[in-house]
Amino acid sequence: MNLSAMRFQPPAISGGIIIIVGGYGSGKSEVSINLARYLVTSQSETTGPVSIVDLDIVNPYFRSREAAKELEKLGITSVNPSGGQFYADLPIILPEIKGTIERREGTVVLDVGGDDAGSRVLGSLANAFEGAEYELLFVLNANRPFTATAEGCLKMMSEIETASRLKFTGIISNTHLLEETNEETILDGLRLSHRVSDETSLPVRFLSALENILDEIDPKLIDVPVLPLNRLLLKPWE
Amino acid sequence: MARVLMKGNEAIAEAALKAGAEGYFCYPITPQSEVAEYLAKRMDEVGGLFLQGESELAVANMLFGAASTGKRVFTTSSSPGISLMQEAISYMAGAQLPCVIVNIMRGGPGLGGILPAQSDYFQSVKGGGHGDYRLLVLAPSTIQESVDLMMLAFHLADKYRNPVMMIGDGMIGQMMEPVEFPDHYEEPELPEKSWVATGAVGRKPHVIKSLFLDPYMLEKNSWELHEKYDQMKKEEVRYELYKVSAKNKIMIVSYGTTARICQTAIDQLEKEGISVGMFRPITLFPFPEPQIHKEAIKKNINDVLVVEMSTAQMMEDVEKAVLGKKPVNFFGRTGGVVPAPEEVKEQIMMLIEKQKKTKAKKKA
Amino acid sequence: MDQQNQTIFARPDAMTETVTHYCPGCTHGIIHRLVAEALDDLGVRENTLGVAPVGCSVLIYNYFDTDFLEAPHGRAPALATGFKRMRPDMVVFTYQGDGDLASIGMSEIIHAANRGEKFTTIFVNNTIYGMTGGQMAPTTLPGQVTTTCPAGRDVSRTGYPIRMVELLAALATPAYLQRVSVHTPQHIIQAKKAVRKAFEYQLEDRGFSLIELLSTCPTNWGMTPSEASKWLAENLLPYYPLGCYKDFDKAEGDK
Ligand SMILES: Cc1ncc(C[n+]2csc(CCOP(=O)(O)OP(=O)(O)O)c2C)c(N)n1
Ligand code: SF4
Repeated sequence: MNLSAMRFQPPAISGGIIIIVGGYGSGKSEVSINLARYLVTSQSETTGPVSIVDLDIVNPYFRSREAAKELEKLGITSVNPSGGQFYADLPIILPEIKGTIERREGTVVLDVGGDDAGSRVLGSLANAFEGAEYELLFVLNANRPFTATAEGCLKMMSEIETASRLKFTGIISNTHLLEETNEETILDGLRLSHRVSDETSLPVRFLSALENILDEIDPKLIDVPVLPLNRLLLKPWE
Repeated sequence: MARVLMKGNEAIAEAALKAGAEGYFCYPITPQSEVAEYLAKRMDEVGGLFLQGESELAVANMLFGAASTGKRVFTTSSSPGISLMQEAISYMAGAQLPCVIVNIMRGGPGLGGILPAQSDYFQSVKGGGHGDYRLLVLAPSTIQESVDLMMLAFHLADKYRNPVMMIGDGMIGQMMEPVEFPDHYEEPELPEKSWVATGAVGRKPHVIKSLFLDPYMLEKNSWELHEKYDQMKKEEVRYELYKVSAKNKIMIVSYGTTARICQTAIDQLEKEGISVGMFRPITLFPFPEPQIHKEAIKKNINDVLVVEMSTAQMMEDVEKAVLGKKPVNFFGRTGGVVPAPEEVKEQIMMLIEKQKKTKAKKKA
Repeated sequence: MDQQNQTIFARPDAMTETVTHYCPGCTHGIIHRLVAEALDDLGVRENTLGVAPVGCSVLIYNYFDTDFLEAPHGRAPALATGFKRMRPDMVVFTYQGDGDLASIGMSEIIHAANRGEKFTTIFVNNTIYGMTGGQMAPTTLPGQVTTTCPAGRDVSRTGYPIRMVELLAALATPAYLQRVSVHTPQHIIQAKKAVRKAFEYQLEDRGFSLIELLSTCPTNWGMTPSEASKWLAENLLPYYPLGCYKDFDKAEGDK
C-alpha cells in the first residue's frame, strides 16, 4: 500500500456496475484502470470477480484495452476485441459486454468514450441495464476546454444523460495537466467539482490524481476520498 | 491565456481559428475526425463556416472555391483522404491559391490501418499530384508546436500564395498535452490580396485558373512557381538541434513524434556515457539540406542514423544532403508500429560496435 | 417582342468582345449569350462569379466580363459551394457539359443540389464529349454513333442515357429544375426565360437551380448546323422531354 493511499480517505466504492463517462480526454481510461486495480486489491471481500470493459468506440488510440495485459496479471478480466480487431476503429460491441452487464455478478468497470458521442453506446445497451443498480460517474477535468466552467460541465452532463439514457450518481474530480499538474491544478479542479456538485446535488465520489503529486499535498486540503493514480497508458517516449 | 489540456486534433482546430480561419471543409476519417467534431461546435460560435462534404475529392475542391474569396480556409484529413485531395491541391498550387491542409497520417498503402505512421512523406514533399509544384510542408513534434505551426501555416500560405501542408503521424492528432494559445495573434504584414474574386466592379475580371494553353505561358508559370520554392528554401527552413556537440559520434535525423522517441533514447544513452545528437527537420519542404550537410560532415560524426515511421522515405533526402560524405544508416518501423526508445538505442549500439571494428581494422 | 429582338442582337454587357472559339453552328455561343443577358437584366454582372468546366467551354472566362474560376473536370459544383458559402452575397453559377456534370462530376452535382447550395448550374447537354473528340457520354442516345461506340450506343453494355433533371427532381431540396432547348428561336426565347428565372431564384435565396439545355455539336455529330438542329428535334426531344421538373413555388405544398 502506497503512502498517499494511507494519508487520504479511500473511495467508498465496493463494487457492482460502475460506469465511467466524461468529456473527451478527461482521463476516463486512466481512472477506470486505476479504479479496477484499487477494487481488486483493496475491496476484494465485496467486489467478487472484477472485469473492465473498454466501451470506447470513438477514440482510436490510448484506450484502456492497451493496459489489458497488465490488468490480467492482477486478476482483472478485460473484455476487448481480439486479434486484428483490437486495433480497429470499428464500433465493436462484443456480445460478452452485454452478458457481463446482465449477469450482475461481481464488479464491472465500464470505460466509455468521451462526450455524448461516446456515451451513445450505453443507450444501445439500455436493455441490459434495466432494473440494475449502477454508478454513473462523471470524470471532470477543469483544464479541458468544454468543461472549464460549471455551465460547460452541466451542459455536457445533460448531453451525456440524454445519450446514455442513464442518470448520474456522482462526480470524479480528475483535474490535471499531465506532467505539468501541481497542487494548485488539483485544488482548482476540486473547487469546480464542488460547484458542479452543489448545482446537481450529486456527490463528489472521489478525487483522482497522480500519486507523486498527492504525496506533496496536505491531506487536510482535500475534503473528499482520494484515488491515487499510476499511469499505465503511456506515450511511446515516456 | 492559461494552459489547457488538449488533444492534438482539437488544438489544431483551435489554432486555425486563432489564425483567423473563416472556413473549414471536411470528410470524416480516423485518426483526425475530432478536428471536425470540434469545429462543428466552434465554427458556429465564432461565426465561421463548417461544411462536411460528400468526399475528400469534393472537399478539396470546395477549398479551392473558398480560397478564391481570399479568406483563410483549411481542411484536415488522413492518408487515404489526402490521396483523393491531390487533384485540387495540384490545381490550387497551379492557380497560386493560399490554403492549409493537415494530414494526420495513418499506415498505408491502401486502406492500411489507423495507427500512426509517417509513410506519406514522399506524397507531401515531392508534389503528390500532377505537375511541377511543391507544397510548403511543416512537421510538428508536440501539440504546442502543432498549434504554433498551424498558425504559421496560414501566414506562409498567404505570403507565398501556395497551399501549405502540415503533417503529423496519428499520435499528433490523438495524444493530449498542455498547450497555450496566444491571447492575440500577431503576424508580419502581408501584401494585399489583389488577385481575389470579389466581383468585377470597376476592374477587369479576375480569372483564377491553372490552365495555360500556350506552352510558353505554362512554362513561364512553372518557373514563377519554382522561384517561390527557391525563396522558401532561402527564408523558411526550420529545424531544431538536440544535444548536438563535438562529443557526438552519431547524428540522428528524425522528425515528428519519432524525434521524441529518439530524444528519450538519447537521454538514456547520455546517462550511460554515450553522446548522440539529433537533427530534427521542422520544415520538410523546404528540406534543411545544407544545414544537415554542415552538421553531418563535422569531424566527430562517423555515422548518420535516420529514424522514421516508414520504409525509408526522408532517408533519400538525407542521403542527398549528406552527399556521400558520411554513411547514412536507417532504422524504421511502419504500418502503425511505433519504434520504442530501446530499439533506437540498440541501433546506436550496433553502429558504435561497427565504428569500433573499423577503427581496429584501420589500426591493424 | 421588340425588346427581345434588341437584346438578341446587341452584345450583352456581361460579355467581352473576344470572338468565341466554338465551331460554326455550335450552340455553346447562344447559351453564353442567354446567361449574359440574364446577368445584365438583373444588373448583377459586377457581383457575379462564374465557374468554368473542363469541356469545350473551358475558355468561357475569356468571353464573360465577370470574375471566374477554372475548375477541375466535374468539380465546378464543389468550387461553387466553397465560394458561395464564403460569399453568400455574390451571384455564382457553374457552366458544365454532360461529360463534366453527368459522368465525372455526378457526385458533386447531386450533393450540391441536395444540400440546396444557392448557386445556378447551366447544364449543356449535347450528348457527347465535344472537347476530346466525340466520345460517348452518359447522355449519348441509344444507337448514337460516337468514337467510343462506333457501332452505336449498345444499351445492353452501357445502360440507357441518364436524364439528369429527372434524376435531380427525385431530391427534395432543389428549388428549380427545368429542361429547355436552343434549336429554334422559339425554344431560345423559352430558354432565356428559364435561365433568367434560375438566377432570380438565386437572388431570392431560394436554393439550388439548374437548367438543362439540349444543344448541338455539329462537329462531332458529323452534321451541318441545320441537320444538327433537325436531328436534335427528332431524336433528343422524345428522349429528353422539355419542361419544368421542379419549382419551389409549385412544390410549396410538398414542403
Ligand atoms: C480528370 C480528367 N479526365 C479527363 C479529362 C479530359 N476531358 C476534357 S473535356 C472532357 C469531356 C467533356 O465533355 P462535356 O462535358 O460533354 O463537354 P463538351 O466538350 O461536350 O462541351 C474530357 C473527358 C480531363 N480534363 N480531366
Ligand atoms: S466540338 Fe461540338 S460542342 Fe465543342 S465547340 Fe465544336 S460543336 Fe461545340
